[in-house]
Amino acid sequence: MKDQFEEFVRSNRNAFDDKEPTGKVWKNIETSVFGKARGISFWQNITIWRAAAAVFMVLSAYLFIEKYSAVNTDSVASANTAALKEFTDIEQFYFEQISHKTQLIDDFQRAEGLNGFTHDFKQLEAMYMVLKEEMKHHPSQKVKDALVLNLLVRIDLLNQQLHKLEDGDYKEEADPKKKASKEV
Amino acid sequence: MFNVSYRITGSFDDAEDALQEAFISAFRNLESYRGDATFGGWLKRIVVNKSINLLQRRKHESLPENEDWDLAEDTDSTTYMDGLSVEKVRDAIQQLPDGYRAVLSLYLLEGYDHQEISEILGISESTSKSQLNRAKGKLREYLSKKI
Repeated sequence: MKDQFEEFVRSNRNAFDDKEPTGKVWKNIETSVFGKARGISFWQNITIWRAAAAVFMVLSAYLFIEKYSAVNTDSVASANTAALKEFTDIEQFYFEQISHKTQLIDDFQRAEGLNGFTHDFKQLEAMYMVLKEEMKHHPSQKVKDALVLNLLVRIDLLNQQLHKLEDGDYKEEADPKKKASKEV
Repeated sequence: MFNVSYRITGSFDDAEDALQEAFISAFRNLESYRGDATFGGWLKRIVVNKSINLLQRRKHESLPENEDWDLAEDTDSTTYMDGLSVEKVRDAIQQLPDGYRAVLSLYLLEGYDHQEISEILGISESTSKSQLNRAKGKLREYLSKKI
Protein backbone atom coordinates (compact mmCIF):
# COMPACT_ATOMS: atom_id res chain seq x y z
CA MET A 1 0.00 0.00 0.00
CA LYS A 2 2.90 2.34 -0.58
CA ASP A 3 2.86 4.95 -3.28
CA GLN A 4 4.37 8.36 -3.80
CA PHE A 5 1.26 10.10 -2.58
CA GLU A 6 1.27 8.17 0.69
CA GLU A 7 4.97 8.86 1.05
CA PHE A 8 4.34 12.57 0.54
CA VAL A 9 1.59 12.67 3.15
CA ARG A 10 3.59 10.65 5.67
CA SER A 11 6.74 12.70 5.25
CA ASN A 12 4.74 15.90 5.77
CA ARG A 13 2.49 14.43 8.43
CA ASN A 14 2.88 17.23 10.98
CA ALA A 15 2.01 19.92 8.46
CA PHE A 16 -1.50 18.49 8.22
CA ASP A 17 -2.27 19.41 11.82
CA ASP A 18 -2.90 23.10 11.29
CA LYS A 19 -6.19 23.69 13.07
CA GLU A 20 -6.74 24.77 16.64
CA PRO A 21 -9.97 24.84 18.60
CA THR A 22 -11.20 28.07 20.11
CA GLY A 23 -10.71 28.69 23.82
CA LYS A 24 -14.36 28.00 24.57
CA VAL A 25 -13.79 24.25 24.14
CA TRP A 26 -11.34 24.06 27.03
CA LYS A 27 -13.54 26.32 29.07
CA ASN A 28 -16.57 24.09 28.48
CA ILE A 29 -14.58 20.97 29.33
CA GLU A 30 -13.36 22.55 32.51
CA THR A 31 -16.85 23.72 33.44
CA SER A 32 -18.29 20.33 32.74
CA VAL A 33 -15.62 18.39 34.61
CA PHE A 34 -15.13 20.69 37.57
CA GLY A 35 -18.59 22.23 37.68
CA LYS A 36 -17.57 25.85 37.58
CA ALA A 37 -16.33 28.24 34.91
CA ARG A 38 -12.96 29.72 35.49
CA GLY A 39 -12.07 30.96 32.03
CA ILE A 40 -8.91 31.19 30.00
CA SER A 41 -7.33 33.76 32.24
CA PHE A 42 -7.09 31.09 34.92
CA TRP A 43 -4.58 29.15 32.85
CA GLN A 44 -2.52 32.17 32.12
CA ASN A 45 -2.54 33.47 35.66
CA ILE A 46 0.90 33.09 37.17
CA THR A 47 -0.48 33.45 40.69
CA ILE A 48 -2.23 30.12 40.25
CA TRP A 49 1.08 28.50 39.34
CA ARG A 50 2.72 30.02 42.36
CA ALA A 51 -0.13 28.86 44.56
CA ALA A 52 0.07 25.36 43.05
CA ALA A 53 3.80 25.19 43.73
CA ALA A 54 3.25 26.39 47.31
CA VAL A 55 0.48 23.86 47.87
CA PHE A 56 2.67 21.03 46.66
CA MET A 57 5.55 22.11 48.83
CA VAL A 58 3.31 22.14 51.90
CA LEU A 59 1.72 18.87 50.88
CA SER A 60 5.01 17.09 50.40
CA ALA A 61 6.35 18.46 53.69
CA TYR A 62 3.24 17.15 55.40
CA LEU A 63 3.55 13.76 53.74
CA PHE A 64 7.20 13.58 54.68
CA ILE A 65 6.48 14.29 58.34
CA GLU A 66 3.61 11.85 58.36
CA LYS A 67 5.70 9.15 56.75
CA TYR A 68 8.57 9.78 59.13
CA SER A 69 6.35 9.44 62.19
CA ALA A 70 4.63 6.32 60.89
CA VAL A 71 7.71 4.61 59.56
CA ASN A 72 8.10 2.08 62.35
CA THR A 73 4.48 1.22 62.86
CA ASP A 74 3.29 -0.03 59.51
CA SER A 75 5.81 -1.10 56.91
CA VAL A 76 3.27 -1.69 54.11
CA ALA A 77 1.66 1.67 54.62
CA SER A 78 5.06 3.31 54.77
CA ALA A 79 6.05 1.71 51.46
CA ASN A 80 2.92 3.16 49.89
CA THR A 81 3.54 6.53 51.45
CA ALA A 82 7.13 6.40 50.25
CA ALA A 83 5.96 5.77 46.71
CA LEU A 84 3.46 8.59 46.98
CA LYS A 85 6.03 10.88 48.51
CA GLU A 86 8.48 10.08 45.75
CA PHE A 87 5.89 11.07 43.22
CA THR A 88 4.88 14.17 45.14
CA ASP A 89 8.51 15.23 45.33
CA ILE A 90 8.93 14.78 41.60
CA GLU A 91 5.68 16.61 40.98
CA GLN A 92 6.68 19.44 43.28
CA PHE A 93 10.03 19.80 41.56
CA TYR A 94 8.49 19.93 38.10
CA PHE A 95 5.74 22.27 39.20
CA GLU A 96 8.37 24.68 40.45
CA GLN A 97 10.15 24.44 37.11
CA ILE A 98 6.91 24.97 35.21
CA SER A 99 5.94 27.85 37.43
CA HIS A 100 9.31 29.52 36.96
CA LYS A 101 9.37 29.09 33.19
CA THR A 102 5.77 30.13 32.77
CA GLN A 103 6.54 33.31 34.63
CA LEU A 104 9.49 34.01 32.35
CA ILE A 105 7.32 33.53 29.28
CA ASP A 106 4.56 35.55 30.83
CA ASP A 107 6.98 38.42 31.39
CA PHE A 108 7.96 38.26 27.74
CA GLN A 109 4.53 38.19 26.21
CA ARG A 110 1.90 39.65 28.44
CA ALA A 111 -0.43 40.72 25.68
CA GLU A 112 -0.32 37.44 23.83
CA GLY A 113 -3.58 35.70 22.97
CA LEU A 114 -4.25 32.03 22.32
CA ASN A 115 -1.52 30.57 20.13
CA GLY A 116 0.00 27.22 19.32
CA PHE A 117 1.98 27.25 22.50
CA THR A 118 -0.88 27.93 24.91
CA HIS A 119 -3.08 25.49 23.03
CA ASP A 120 -0.62 22.62 23.37
CA PHE A 121 0.03 23.57 26.93
CA LYS A 122 -3.64 23.56 27.82
CA GLN A 123 -4.21 20.25 26.14
CA LEU A 124 -1.41 18.81 28.25
CA GLU A 125 -2.97 20.43 31.30
CA ALA A 126 -6.30 18.81 30.56
CA MET A 127 -4.65 15.43 30.08
CA TYR A 128 -2.77 15.90 33.31
CA MET A 129 -6.00 16.47 35.24
CA VAL A 130 -7.48 13.34 33.74
CA LEU A 131 -4.37 11.35 34.68
CA LYS A 132 -4.29 12.82 38.15
CA GLU A 133 -7.83 11.63 38.72
CA GLU A 134 -6.83 8.16 37.56
CA MET A 135 -3.86 8.23 39.95
CA LYS A 136 -6.23 9.02 42.78
CA HIS A 137 -8.53 6.09 42.09
CA HIS A 138 -6.17 3.50 40.62
CA PRO A 139 -2.57 4.39 41.40
CA SER A 140 -0.10 2.46 39.28
CA GLN A 141 3.40 2.79 37.91
CA LYS A 142 2.03 3.38 34.41
CA VAL A 143 -0.13 6.31 35.44
CA LYS A 144 2.74 7.72 37.46
CA ASP A 145 5.03 7.46 34.44
CA ALA A 146 2.41 9.13 32.28
CA LEU A 147 2.09 11.98 34.79
CA VAL A 148 5.83 12.52 34.91
CA LEU A 149 6.05 12.34 31.12
CA ASN A 150 3.30 14.94 30.87
CA LEU A 151 5.25 17.27 33.16
CA LEU A 152 8.45 16.71 31.21
CA VAL A 153 6.74 17.41 27.91
CA ARG A 154 5.33 20.61 29.34
CA ILE A 155 8.75 21.69 30.55
CA ASP A 156 10.16 20.87 27.14
CA LEU A 157 7.44 23.01 25.52
CA LEU A 158 8.24 25.86 27.87
CA ASN A 159 11.94 25.53 27.09
CA GLN A 160 11.24 25.60 23.36
CA GLN A 161 9.09 28.67 23.81
CA LEU A 162 11.75 30.36 25.90
CA HIS A 163 14.40 29.61 23.27
CA LYS A 164 12.10 31.01 20.62
CA LEU A 165 11.59 34.16 22.62
CA GLU A 166 15.27 34.49 23.36
CA ASP A 167 16.09 34.12 19.66
CA GLY A 168 13.70 36.95 18.92
CA ASP A 169 11.34 34.77 16.90
CA TYR A 170 8.48 36.04 18.95
CA LYS A 171 8.17 39.24 16.98
CA GLU A 172 7.93 37.29 13.78
CA GLU A 173 5.35 34.96 15.26
CA ALA A 174 3.26 37.82 16.48
CA ASP A 175 2.72 38.89 12.89
CA PRO A 176 -0.55 37.13 12.00
CA LYS A 177 0.37 36.50 8.38
CA LYS A 178 3.72 34.98 9.15
CA LYS A 179 2.20 33.10 12.03
CA ALA A 180 -0.40 31.48 9.82
CA SER A 181 2.22 30.22 7.44
CA LYS A 182 4.49 29.03 10.20
CA GLU A 183 1.93 27.20 12.24
CA VAL A 184 1.51 23.61 11.26
CA MET B 1 -6.66 15.77 18.76
CA PHE B 2 -8.61 18.66 17.31
CA ASN B 3 -7.17 18.03 13.85
CA VAL B 4 -8.12 14.36 14.07
CA SER B 5 -11.69 15.38 14.75
CA TYR B 6 -11.70 18.15 12.15
CA ARG B 7 -10.59 15.79 9.41
CA ILE B 8 -13.31 13.28 10.23
CA THR B 9 -16.21 15.66 10.72
CA GLY B 10 -15.09 18.11 8.05
CA SER B 11 -16.48 20.99 10.08
CA PHE B 12 -14.83 23.27 12.60
CA ASP B 13 -17.88 23.50 14.86
CA ASP B 14 -18.53 19.76 14.79
CA ALA B 15 -14.87 19.12 15.55
CA GLU B 16 -15.06 21.37 18.60
CA ASP B 17 -18.19 19.61 19.80
CA ALA B 18 -16.61 16.20 19.29
CA LEU B 19 -13.42 17.21 21.08
CA GLN B 20 -15.40 18.57 23.98
CA GLU B 21 -17.59 15.47 24.23
CA ALA B 22 -14.53 13.23 23.97
CA PHE B 23 -12.52 14.90 26.74
CA ILE B 24 -15.49 14.99 29.10
CA SER B 25 -16.35 11.40 28.31
CA ALA B 26 -12.71 10.36 28.84
CA PHE B 27 -12.70 12.02 32.22
CA ARG B 28 -15.90 10.30 33.26
CA ASN B 29 -14.87 6.90 31.98
CA LEU B 30 -11.38 6.75 33.32
CA GLU B 31 -12.04 3.39 34.92
CA SER B 32 -12.34 1.86 31.46
CA TYR B 33 -8.71 2.80 30.74
CA ARG B 34 -6.72 -0.23 31.81
CA GLY B 35 -3.35 0.56 30.37
CA ASP B 36 -3.54 -1.91 27.48
CA ALA B 37 -2.91 0.98 25.06
CA THR B 38 -1.01 4.21 25.54
CA PHE B 39 -3.05 6.89 27.22
CA GLY B 40 -2.77 9.11 24.15
CA GLY B 41 -3.96 6.25 21.94
CA TRP B 42 -6.90 5.61 24.22
CA LEU B 43 -7.89 9.26 24.25
CA LYS B 44 -7.45 9.57 20.49
CA ARG B 45 -9.71 6.59 19.96
CA ILE B 46 -12.40 8.30 22.03
CA VAL B 47 -11.99 11.45 19.94
CA VAL B 48 -12.26 9.38 16.75
CA ASN B 49 -15.37 7.57 17.97
CA LYS B 50 -17.08 10.78 19.08
CA SER B 51 -16.27 12.38 15.73
CA ILE B 52 -17.67 9.43 13.79
CA ASN B 53 -20.81 9.45 15.97
CA LEU B 54 -21.28 13.12 15.31
CA LEU B 55 -20.74 12.65 11.59
CA GLN B 56 -23.28 9.83 11.56
CA ARG B 57 -25.77 11.90 13.52
CA ARG B 58 -25.43 14.89 11.22
CA LYS B 59 -25.16 13.14 7.90
CA HIS B 60 -26.91 9.82 7.82
CA GLU B 61 -25.92 8.14 4.60
CA SER B 62 -22.46 9.59 4.31
CA LEU B 63 -20.40 6.72 5.70
CA PRO B 64 -19.33 3.91 3.40
CA GLU B 65 -21.69 1.04 2.92
CA ASN B 66 -20.59 -2.51 3.23
CA GLU B 67 -19.24 -3.64 -0.08
CA ASP B 68 -17.37 -6.88 -0.34
CA TRP B 69 -15.45 -6.11 -3.44
CA ASP B 70 -12.14 -4.54 -3.98
CA LEU B 71 -10.71 -2.18 -6.51
CA ALA B 72 -7.40 -2.75 -8.19
CA GLU B 73 -4.84 -0.48 -6.64
CA ASP B 74 -3.85 2.38 -8.83
CA THR B 75 -0.21 3.17 -8.33
CA ASP B 76 0.17 5.64 -11.18
CA SER B 77 0.81 8.64 -9.03
CA THR B 78 3.66 10.26 -10.89
CA THR B 79 1.53 12.53 -13.07
CA TYR B 80 0.24 14.73 -10.26
CA MET B 81 3.19 14.56 -7.92
CA ASP B 82 4.89 17.65 -9.34
CA GLY B 83 3.82 20.79 -7.56
CA LEU B 84 2.13 18.83 -4.78
CA SER B 85 1.90 20.86 -1.61
CA VAL B 86 0.51 20.21 1.83
CA GLU B 87 -2.08 22.97 1.36
CA LYS B 88 -3.34 21.49 -1.90
CA VAL B 89 -3.58 18.01 -0.43
CA ARG B 90 -5.28 19.34 2.69
CA ASP B 91 -7.86 21.21 0.63
CA ALA B 92 -8.40 18.20 -1.60
CA ILE B 93 -8.96 15.97 1.45
CA GLN B 94 -11.55 18.43 2.74
CA GLN B 95 -13.42 18.19 -0.57
CA LEU B 96 -13.75 14.40 -0.32
CA PRO B 97 -17.15 12.96 0.53
CA ASP B 98 -17.45 12.24 4.27
CA GLY B 99 -17.04 8.48 4.06
CA TYR B 100 -13.95 8.65 1.85
CA ARG B 101 -12.44 11.39 3.96
CA ALA B 102 -12.96 9.43 7.18
CA VAL B 103 -11.30 6.26 5.84
CA LEU B 104 -8.44 8.13 4.19
CA SER B 105 -7.73 10.25 7.28
CA LEU B 106 -7.85 7.32 9.65
CA TYR B 107 -5.54 5.27 7.44
CA LEU B 108 -3.09 7.80 6.09
CA LEU B 109 -2.93 10.44 8.81
CA GLU B 110 -3.96 8.69 12.01
CA GLY B 111 -2.11 5.48 11.22
CA TYR B 112 -4.90 2.99 11.84
CA ASP B 113 -4.84 -0.21 9.79
CA HIS B 114 -7.80 -1.56 7.84
CA GLN B 115 -8.80 -3.93 10.62
CA GLU B 116 -8.98 -1.06 13.12
CA ILE B 117 -10.83 1.15 10.64
CA SER B 118 -13.34 -1.61 10.00
CA GLU B 119 -14.01 -1.79 13.77
CA ILE B 120 -14.25 1.98 14.16
CA LEU B 121 -16.63 2.48 11.23
CA GLY B 122 -18.48 -0.82 11.51
CA ILE B 123 -17.62 -1.85 7.95
CA SER B 124 -15.70 -4.77 6.48
CA GLU B 125 -11.96 -4.67 5.91
CA SER B 126 -12.41 -4.98 2.18
CA THR B 127 -14.81 -2.01 2.20
CA SER B 128 -12.20 -0.04 4.09
CA LYS B 129 -9.58 -0.94 1.47
CA SER B 130 -11.81 -0.13 -1.48
CA GLN B 131 -12.92 3.15 0.08
CA LEU B 132 -9.29 4.11 0.58
CA ASN B 133 -8.51 3.36 -3.07
CA ARG B 134 -11.49 5.36 -4.23
CA ALA B 135 -10.61 8.23 -1.92
CA LYS B 136 -7.10 8.25 -3.37
CA GLY B 137 -8.57 8.17 -6.85
CA LYS B 138 -10.78 11.16 -6.06
CA LEU B 139 -7.82 13.03 -4.58
CA ARG B 140 -5.81 12.32 -7.70
CA GLU B 141 -8.67 13.74 -9.72
CA TYR B 142 -8.92 16.91 -7.62
CA LEU B 143 -5.17 17.43 -7.53
CA SER B 144 -4.57 16.96 -11.24
CA LYS B 145 -7.38 19.43 -11.99
CA LYS B 146 -5.74 22.05 -9.86
CA ILE B 147 -2.23 21.74 -11.24
